[in-house]
Amino acid sequence: MNLELAAPAYALEASTVESSLEASPLEASTVDQQAPTPSRPPLDRHPRLRLSWLVLQAIPSPGIAVGDRGAHGSLSWQVTPLLYSWALDPRLSRFRTFVVEPLVRQAGSIELFVSPEWVGRGLDWTNLGFRAGARAYFPITERGDGLSWSLGASLAWFDDAQSPSLDVGIYTLFGGLGLLASATPWFADGWAQLSLRVRYF
Amino acid sequence: MRHLLRRLLLPGLLLLATTACSELKLFGAFFSGSIDQLGRDVRPVANKPTQPRRPEARLAALWVGHATALLQLDDKFVLTDPVFTDTVGTLSKRFVEPGIDVENLPRLDAVLVSHLHFDHLSLGSLDLLEGKYSQLVLPQGGLVYVPSSPVEPVELATWESVELDGLRITATPVEHVGFRYGGDASWMTQSFTGYVIEYAGLTVYFGGDTARSDWMFHATGRRFPRIDLALLPIAPIHPRDFMCHTHVDPAEALDLFRDLGARYMMAVHYDTFFNSLDEFGEAPRTLRALLPARGLTENDVAILEPGGQRVFIGRP
Repeated sequence: MNLELAAPAYALEASTVESSLEASPLEASTVDQQAPTPSRPPLDRHPRLRLSWLVLQAIPSPGIAVGDRGAHGSLSWQVTPLLYSWALDPRLSRFRTFVVEPLVRQAGSIELFVSPEWVGRGLDWTNLGFRAGARAYFPITERGDGLSWSLGASLAWFDDAQSPSLDVGIYTLFGGLGLLASATPWFADGWAQLSLRVRYF
Repeated sequence: MRHLLRRLLLPGLLLLATTACSELKLFGAFFSGSIDQLGRDVRPVANKPTQPRRPEARLAALWVGHATALLQLDDKFVLTDPVFTDTVGTLSKRFVEPGIDVENLPRLDAVLVSHLHFDHLSLGSLDLLEGKYSQLVLPQGGLVYVPSSPVEPVELATWESVELDGLRITATPVEHVGFRYGGDASWMTQSFTGYVIEYAGLTVYFGGDTARSDWMFHATGRRFPRIDLALLPIAPIHPRDFMCHTHVDPAEALDLFRDLGARYMMAVHYDTFFNSLDEFGEAPRTLRALLPARGLTENDVAILEPGGQRVFIGRP
């Protein structure tokens, strides 16, 4: 298969482009400029941090925590300081910070995450904590857009207690909706947790 | 100043509330329609072609459904915006089966993706096509949403071309949007395109999704003055004040056909998925009704059923 990027058609036909029509900036610039570099790399645009993204990240993922004192509700949030995607085309940057396109995460990636959490029966600061760790995502259908799963390991801090934690999750709707089950054996108020993960970018 | 603010505040709030209500109402209509369709059966296609290669044709096109069309240019085969899955975006289900089964497709010389919306870039469909295509052509910036590709896709910016064994594909301007998820709209601003496919003196235009433009189709027609066939979307139509920014209706599609100066047109992008408030059958019915006033017939403008195939130029 002979594959080569050819010179753009307008380079050959620039003389035919004059028109009585009012040309848009795009048309005018493509006529006047040099041909795009044939060997140019693919366009590599990174996500932008926007206020709407920040607002959406404030939406918590609700869950249930089961511990020594029974079952409680829980809320968690998630932040991704760094993600590496092994599924992205090697011509593109495979790293993301904070804002991550759903497909970049769900198609195959590993992320460092920090997850503030609230577990308990009331607004008691002792029920606030967080976990930090790493989680890998693997696609199941539609390269992760349809269905994907994850495996994570972290350390959790709640009040004075610390505990290692393992989690496994399954996601649909481009990773926007999922179920995450975690085991945190030394955390008395929530050694087992199941949360409905809600995430948008 | 305070008086002015007070005077502006109430109308402003009312405007905001009205806008939010209408957007929510629209979203609700789309969502409930999608859910309703999920419970319905997919209409089968009778007599699906099993041998799409037409030995008597120089130029033939088979409408698979939505924006998916199988093009034959002499011995070359090109597939546009392939969607063979039952749903797009997980929730939007088909009305009707694809017009051909994947296993009956010929070896494809190129697969073209016009933009990144779920009904045009279907990763599940690309998985179904694995091993059947040699090259995947994407709009500029589209590569990020084609992870784990078995072939090395090529991105084309507007007016850029790629040559594949004599098959020349050029990206052409269209009026649409480049995002996939909505939240990426602020940086995915260029990833949408039309294409012109040239081979052995034959020229085919594929419009993907587009709204009308005062200059883009004239410009494409001038650069490619002998377009034999233009594949143009004719829907979604409604709600028009919402769709008009990104989609042509049947009348506007005929305007594009005229602006391109193409010899034949084939209508695509209708009656396949729930993606609008159109009645089923409304877009092709409207298009048919418009033809006589434009001095056109269905010989000029092909309006096919899924699985329908038309030979536009035969062998001498």
